This record gives sequence, C-alpha cells and structure tokens, in this order.
Amino acid sequence: MTNQRDSQQTASSGQSPGTAPAASLTSRHLLGIEGLNPLEIMGLIDRGDMFADIIRDHGRPEPPLSDILRGKTVLNLFFENSTRTRVSFELAAKHLGGSVLNINVAGSSVKKGETLLDTATTLNAMHPHILVVRHNCSGAAQLLSQHVDAAVINAGDGRHEHPTQALLDALTIKRRIGRIQGLRIAICGDVANSRVARSNIHLLSTLGAEVRLVCPPTLLPTAIDAMGVDIFTDLEEGIADVDIVMMLRLQTERMAGTETPSQREYFNLFGLDQKKLMRAAPDALIMHPGPMNRGVEIDSATADDVEKSLIRTQVEIGVAARMACLEALADKEPG
Amino acid sequence: MTDLLLHNARLLDPARAFDGIGFVAIKDGVISAAGPGAVGHDLLKSAATTIDCGGACLAPGLIDMRVQTADPGTEHLEDLPTLLRAAASGGITSVVTLPNAKPVIDDASMIDSLGLRAARIGGSRLFIYGAATRNLEGVAMAELGLMTEAGAVGFANGTRTVMDSMVMRRLLSYCGMLDRPFVQHCEDHALTGAGEMNEGETSTRLGLIGAPAEAEAMIIDRDLHLVRMTGARYHIAHVSTRAAIDSIRRAKDEGLPVTADTAPPYFMLNELSVSTYDTAFKLTPPLRAEDDRLAVIDALADGTIDAIASDHVPVDGDAKAQPFGPAQPGASGIDTLLAMTLALVHRERLPMLRAMECLSLAPASILDLDGGSLGDGAAADLVMFDPDASWVVRGSDFVSTCRITPFEGLPVQGRVLTSWVAGSPAFERDMA
Repeated sequence: MTNQRDSQQTASSGQSPGTAPAASLTSRHLLGIEGLNPLEIMGLIDRGDMFADIIRDHGRPEPPLSDILRGKTVLNLFFENSTRTRVSFELAAKHLGGSVLNINVAGSSVKKGETLLDTATTLNAMHPHILVVRHNCSGAAQLLSQHVDAAVINAGDGRHEHPTQALLDALTIKRRIGRIQGLRIAICGDVANSRVARSNIHLLSTLGAEVRLVCPPTLLPTAIDAMGVDIFTDLEEGIADVDIVMMLRLQTERMAGTETPSQREYFNLFGLDQKKLMRAAPDALIMHPGPMNRGVEIDSATADDVEKSLIRTQVEIGVAARMACLEALADKEPG
Repeated sequence: MTDLLLHNARLLDPARAFDGIGFVAIKDGVISAAGPGAVGHDLLKSAATTIDCGGACLAPGLIDMRVQTADPGTEHLEDLPTLLRAAASGGITSVVTLPNAKPVIDDASMIDSLGLRAARIGGSRLFIYGAATRNLEGVAMAELGLMTEAGAVGFANGTRTVMDSMVMRRLLSYCGMLDRPFVQHCEDHALTGAGEMNEGETSTRLGLIGAPAEAEAMIIDRDLHLVRMTGARYHIAHVSTRAAIDSIRRAKDEGLPVTADTAPPYFMLNELSVSTYDTAFKLTPPLRAEDDRLAVIDALADGTIDAIASDHVPVDGDAKAQPFGPAQPGASGIDTLLAMTLALVHRERLPMLRAMECLSLAPASILDLDGGSLGDGAAADLVMFDPDASWVVRGSDFVSTCRITPFEGLPVQGRVLTSWVAGSPAFERDMA
C-alpha cells in the first residue's frame, strides 16, 4: 500500500492539465455537502484538479485565466471575519474573469440576523450573479438563498457547513494520494463547533473514506455517530494507523468556557505533536483548515513539517476548488 | 321564559360524560336546562330565540390556559381586543394570559386594569396569571396575596423557570396558603444554555446548539420534592418530553396535587420540522423527538397530561425573518387550538369527550373556573362547531394579528360555527 501511494503521490503533478468537464450541480446554490450526490462531488473535485494544474502551469498567473465568469459579478458577503476564504474566493472569481465585490459586514451590527436580510434585499437590487456568504449563524446561507435571485455559495454558516473547505480538502488529498476511497481519516479537535468537520464528514464518507472523530466528550456533538463515524476520546488511539490527520481549530469564540479546563491540558491530551503522530501510518499526512492555534491543537514542528504537512497546500488548492464551484453555478438561471 | 334554545345538537358534555343529540336552554347567561333527545314542546314554545343546530357539536366553551398577551407593551404585535376576538372565533370563551407583558404583570393594580379593560371589550372572558416573582427575575416574590385579591387565577413566571430552589420553595408555600396553583415552565436554563433546538441528531446535522430534553424533567423532579414539602398545587406547562411525562405519572400515582398541560405543536410535530431552518418551528420548549411526541399523545389519552392549551405567542415577521438561532421562539396558536386537538380525535388517538375535557373541564378545574359543563346552572359559555368541516391552515387568514404558525399549509378538520359567552354570541361564522 505504501509503495502504491508513493507512486501516486505525484500523480497529478508534472502532467499537462486534464480535460475534466465543468462540474454540474442539480441545485442552484451550493449550501452544503449534505445533499450532494457522489457524482456532483467528484465533478467538482475533478474540475478543481484541472484548474489546479492550470494555475500551477502558469507559475504566478495574472488573472484572468479564463472568461467563464466574464460579465458576471461575484459578491463576497462576509458577516464573520475571514482572510483566507475571502481572498481565495476573490482570486478564484478573478481567475475566471469575473468582477468581484467584497462586502465586509463583520461586527457592524449586534443584530446580525437583521443585517443579513436587510443587506440581502439591498444587494439583490444590484443583481449579482453569485453571492458568497459567510455568517455566524447556522442556516444563514439557506435563509439568504430564499431571498435573493443570485446563486448562493455557503462560505461557512455557524456550526453547520463549510462546503468549499471540504471540497478543497478532498482535492488536496486527491492530488497528493490520488484517491479518497478506502483512506482512513481522523478529524480531531473541536468537532462541536466545527462546520468544517460536518462538511468533511459528509464528503469523505460519501466518497468511501473511513472517518474517525477524535475529541473530548465535551466537544462531541450528540448522536454524531449517526453520520457513520467512529468516535475516539484518545488522540493516540484515534489516529492509530490513519492516512490523514485532520486537525480542527479550537473555536474559543464559539465556546462557553467549560468545554476544556485549559489550553495547556487540551494540548497535552488532544494537541498533535511529533510523538503522538508516530501512532499514525508511517506516511500519514497532516491537514488543518486554518487559522491554526499553534501550541493548542498542533505544535509548530508538526504544522510546518514539509514532508507531512499539507496545510500550505490546502490554501493554494482552495483557489482551484472554488473556481470549480463558481463555474458550476455561473450559468444557473436566477430564481 | 328561555332566552335562547339550542336544539338538535350533538352535545359534548365532559362533566357528565355525555356525547349525544340533545338541547341546551339558556336564561340570564346560564344554562337553565339541558338534556338528551328532542326538546319538549313547552320549552320550544317558551324560547325567545331558537336555533336548530342541525346536528353540529355543542360543547362547553374552550378555556385556553396558556396565552401570551402583547398588550400591554407591544400592542402592535396584538392588542387585547384582537386577542379576545381571535379567541372567540376559535371557540375559546376564556383566555388565561401569562404575566410576561411589558411591563410585567406583577402588581395587583395591573391585574385590575387588564381585567377591567377586558370586561369593557366584551366577548371572551379574560383571566390572568400574576407574575410569581418581581419582573419575572426569579429573585423576589411578587405580591401574590394582593394579586390573588385582585383576581389572579394562579401564578407563573412566564417562560423563565424559577431556578433558585429556595425561592421556588417559598413560592410554593405561599401559593399553598393562597390555594392558587403555581404554573411552571420547566427548563433547567443552566443546562439548556444557548440551546436553539432540541438536542439530537437533527441539531447536530443542522449545526444548531442543542437543548437537551432532560432539562424539562430535571426541573419537574426538583419541584416535585418541593411539592411534597409544601403540599401546594403545582401545574406543569407545555409538557414536551417522555421523561417529564414519566415523572408526572409517578407524582400522580403518589397522589401529589400535580397537573399538566401540553400544546398542539408537541403532539402534532417533531424536531425534524426544523430541518429547513424554518423559524416558524422555533418554539419554547423546542419541538422534540418523535418518541416524545408519541408519549405526549399517550399521556393525553390516559390523563397524565390533563389539559391542552394553545401556547399562543404573538410574534411578528421581523422577529422570525432571521437565521434560526437569533429568531424569537413562539408562534400563533389561538386560531388553531380546536382544529389541532380534533386532529387527535380524527386520527382516533383521543375520544371526542376526552378532547373536550382537555380543552374545557380540565383547565376549569385546575384554575377553579366555572366551565367544562353543560349542567344546569353552568355559565352559558358554549361553542358550536362542525367537527368534519375541512380547511387548510393559512396564517394570512387568522383573526390573530400573529400570522406565524408551525401548521402553515396543513389540512385540518373542525370549524367553529358560533361561540357564546354568558349566552350572548361572541362569534358567528359568516356562512355566506
């Protein structure tokens, strides 16, 4: 198995761009991974793979690489602070020749819900084609999609879903290992507050990976085993022989204060370091959606391990994955 | 001389367990005679007004023992005249309002004032729960004695559970002295925290913060110990979980003075309704699991849960046009109470007489009100309804100002034709 992986490790690098067709989605919006079928997911990943090749082949590309979004407006509507996701979407839209507007409403109002629909009404009058929205409330993207004509992409809603993160994670894995099916993947840390975890559980299990969760019981959502995951409260046991260790950020901003006794204890029990990583498969890879709390869920040596860490690659690949998503929704008829 | 004679009606008298064709005669606002079969010639001749009910159901007027009023304080959501008109159109001849208005009804003068205004408006009767604690803060006892003198039928703390056990003990002792029931919304707020819906697989999938069902039974279990200590009458509002029902059943077996009600969402719907983040389904307590819903129905059938109340909460669109988390809980209920309860009858989960008992006799006896009976001398608060008439629930058709309902689009059966309060029509359906 190890040999096979080595041969696939560079499966997509050094080759000319593939010819995957534009991904096709049944829905007018991309609100979550749950509800997508395997073909839709694979379509987005394969198309993202092709875009990643194109970006790589251009070295440091000057946008646009394509005119798929020419004459179309992508609105980035962020009710929560974000750097990497917003910039990633912006770059993805520009690579596709679209025009991008960034609207940062984070912290502008305590009553964010009110702002959401008020803002939606205002923005709808400007007739954007695609609305990329991030909000601190679960279900916000779905609510917005009911009130605008544009196609809506969920860039993270509360604790619910962050579909493009899961897609870029899958694309990152696929480009490195060549497949998702049959991989053993541990998602570790603050599962309760993580939309990334939920989207990844849906995506990875839909594509046939074996998904494990490792977290303290205080950060384990009720009945999550119904999503077909195995649950561990011991990190070393949970990551034993896994191919991928996916660490989650401890989301202190969404926590009430009694979930963990201290960051020191959390790191000791649930933080990933080189020693604990020894329990994973010999060539196991490390992922993290960022931003990282170094010394809390992961130590720097592990995070920056050039052999094992895919964390920087995830950020790079994010642009390609989001290009595939934007393209898939570019021609949806307004509702 | 009879003022009004209603005959050829299907009488539903929960007090005498009678369900059959008969007549009711009314004089000076009270029932002067009632009986099975055809009405006698003399009575027919002596009546000033005679109505042939054509076989429609005639039952004691509904007593809705849990209604939030937005008046005083937020009348734009629903003022008192509208609330009472909506009640009458729903067959509810007595409304019992919670004290969580603005300001909080925690003073005898406010009970007086609200009662006087309702009397001036006319139509359905208004009864009032006084606030158990000042400003509903759960800290200092309100003037329960003075409010009792002003007519408070019981005491409640709105949708805030009295969390302090010492305060709760004293409230029960004091209510015991006054012989007034204490009505508790049962939720351990420390456990439910920022909970947005019932905790379970659905909350996990939706990424909404879960409020565990156990929070309801935990408060009930604590309070039952205090009831044993004080002997006070204790009423549990909007029961929603199997665990709570198990506790109530044991308490009743033990002979404790405990009663309970539930509301239609808890026997008609479950937590899966939240799956689309539709905020019409955001209620307090939250919609529970299917197993809880089935337990509520069984408890209504076997009497563990005594009564059904609408749990009407006037909310407006703005408070609901939000993501699920920050959206305000609650929905309209007063227009749909009868039809939703009849759904259990049509589905053969509840006998018709038991349904009527839940809606009139049970709340009357819990709160010491006149009602729930078609016997001689009973107040002529009546509802005539067609149990089979079908309609589709549309919030936009409600008499209530609040048009948000978790039953939107649901086909139902059972329509009020006329409501009488003290023998006078409070609502008559335009049959044209």
